Amino acid sequence: MSEPLLVLDNVTKNYGAIEALKGISFSIGKGEVVALLGDNGAGKSTLVKIISGGLEPTSGRMLFEGKEFLAKSPAEAKAAGIETVYQDLSLCTNVDVVANFFMGREITRKFLGIPVLDERAMEAVVGKALANAGTRIPSLRANVEHLSGGQRQAIELNRFVHWGGKLVLLDEPFAALGVEQTRRGLDMIRQVANQGIGVVIITHIMQQAFQVADRIVVIRQGVVAGDVARNKTSPDAVINMITGETLAGAGPTG
Amino acid sequence: MNPRTRKALEFVLDNLVWFMLLFVLVVFSIFVPNYFQLGIFANIIEASSVLGVMSIGLALVIIAGHMDLSVESVAALSAMAVGILFCSSGIGMGVQLHPEWLMVPVSLLLALAVGGLIGAFNGYLVVKVKMSAFIITLASYIWVRGLVLVVSGGRSAQDLAPAIRWFGIQRLLGLPLTAWIAVGCFVVFSLIMAKTPFGRHLVMIGGNETATFRAGIRVNRNLIIAFVLAGAIAGLAGWLLAIRTSGATANLGVGLLFNAFAAVVIGGVSLKGGVGTLPGVYAGVLLLSAINTAINLMGLPANFTQVIHGLLVLAAVLLDAFKQTIRQRLA
Repeated sequence: MSEPLLVLDNVTKNYGAIEALKGISFSIGKGEVVALLGDNGAGKSTLVKIISGGLEPTSGRMLFEGKEFLAKSPAEAKAAGIETVYQDLSLCTNVDVVANFFMGREITRKFLGIPVLDERAMEAVVGKALANAGTRIPSLRANVEHLSGGQRQAIELNRFVHWGGKLVLLDEPFAALGVEQTRRGLDMIRQVANQGIGVVIITHIMQQAFQVADRIVVIRQGVVAGDVARNKTSPDAVINMITGETLAGAGPTG
Repeated sequence: MNPRTRKALEFVLDNLVWFMLLFVLVVFSIFVPNYFQLGIFANIIEASSVLGVMSIGLALVIIAGHMDLSVESVAALSAMAVGILFCSSGIGMGVQLHPEWLMVPVSLLLALAVGGLIGAFNGYLVVKVKMSAFIITLASYIWVRGLVLVVSGGRSAQDLAPAIRWFGIQRLLGLPLTAWIAVGCFVVFSLIMAKTPFGRHLVMIGGNETATFRAGIRVNRNLIIAFVLAGAIAGLAGWLLAIRTSGATANLGVGLLFNAFAAVVIGGVSLKGGVGTLPGVYAGVLLLSAINTAINLMGLPANFTQVIHGLLVLAAVLLDAFKQTIRQRLA
C-alpha cells in the first residue's frame, strides 16, 4: 500500500445510548479501492456519512493526507476533495441533466459583477463527460424526472468520475443498474483509482467486491471485524467475518 | 411526433398561463362592452401592482419548497409604519424631512427593513429550529396583524406626504410609477431565478433538499435569504399599498394573501416546491386582475370575484395535473 490518504483512528458514533460505531480504525491509500462490507445495520452508512461530513463522530479522529480532518458539512468534505455517491440518489429531478451535473459548482460569468450561469459552457462539459463514459442520454436539457433509473445512476457515477477529487465514497452505487451498466461502473472505479484517487465502495454483493477491490474491510456490530487484502482471502472467509463466525485477520477494535 | 411539433407543444405547456391570459383578454374584448381600450389594459396592470409584488416573495419561498403565510400581514405592518411616520392626519405623526425627496428612500428603507426583519425571524425559526414553515408563518400572519392593530389602536393614518404620493400619481407611458416598480421587480427577480446560481439553487432545494445539502450547497443560508427576501418584498408591497391608499388602515390588505396564493398557483408554481417560474406568476396576477376588471365593467356584484377566483385556482390545479400527463407522454 502506498502512503495512506485517509486514516480513521478509533472513530465512534453514539445515537443516545446506542453505539452505532464502537471504534473503527482502518486506512485507505492513494489509488486504492477498499470494499466496505457488513450486514445491514453494521454501521457502514454511518461511517460514510461521518467521512463525508453528513454526521459528526462522537469521538475518535481522522487524518486526511496526514492532517487532522473533520468535515462539519458536505461542503467542507468536498472542499477537501472527498466525493460521495449515496445509496438513495442525490439528484434534483425537477431540473435538467446539466444543472444536476454542476449542482453547487456552476460555471458562471460575471455580468456587471453579478455571477450569471454560463449554460453553454456547462452543457459542453457535460456532453463531453457523458460521451467519454459511453452514457447515452436523449437530451441534456431534459428534466431528470423523465429519465430512467439506470440513466439517473449513470449521471451520478459520471458526476463523481468527472469531479474526481482525492477520495471517493460510493454507498451501494449499482443498486439500480443492469448487468452491462454495472460492469461499466466497475470499470469506472478502476479508472478513477488508477488516477491515484482513493475509493471506498460499500456493497452487499460479494462478487462486486472481489472484482474491484484491493482490500476488503468488514464491519460487524460497529467494529472492524476484518481487514484483509483481496488476494489473501476468499468470499467464504469474508462471509464468515460478516456473520461473525470467525475473527480471522481482525483489525484493532479499540 | 416530429421534433418541431414537440418543441412547439413544450413551448405552449411552459407558457400556458400566458396563453390563458391572452385568451381571456380576447374573449373579454369581444364580449364585454368597453373592455378593449388602452386605458383598461393600463388599469389591469396598475391594479395588480401590489398583488404582483407580494406574489413574487411568496413564489420564491414556495419554489424553494417552503411557505410564507405572513406576507399579507407583513405588508400591512410596513404600510402602517410608513403611514404613522409620514401621514399628516389621523394617527400619522407627519414627520417632515428636508429636502422632501429624502422621505422616499427613508420610507422605502423602513418598509423593506420591517419586512426583512420579520422574514429573517421566520427564516431563522424554519431553518435553524427546523419547525414547519406553515406553522411558523401562520403564527406570524396572526401576530404581525395583531401588531398592526396594536400600533394603530385600530385607527388609520391619512394624507401621506406628497413627496411619497408622487410615485402613485406620476405616470410614465400611461402607467403610474408604482406599476413600473412592480414590473421592474418581476423582471429583476425573474432574471435572478433563471440566470444566477442563487436562483438555480433555490429551485434545486425545492426539488430535493437532501441532494443539494450533500452537493455542498449552503441550504440553510439560501433558505434564510429566501425568507428575508419574501419579507422585504412584502414590505415593498406594503409601501406601494400605503401610496395607493395614501395612508394605512388597521385592516389594510386583508384577503391579499389568498389572492397571492391564487396567482402563484395559477401561474404554474407547485406547492410541492421546485416547480414554477416568475413570469408565469406575473401572468397569473394579470389574469386575476383582468377578470376583476371584466366583472367591474359588466356591473356584476363584486362578490362574484371571489367565486371566480376560487374556481380559477381549482382549474389551475387540474390543469397542472393535465400538463404533467402530457409531459410524461412527451418524454
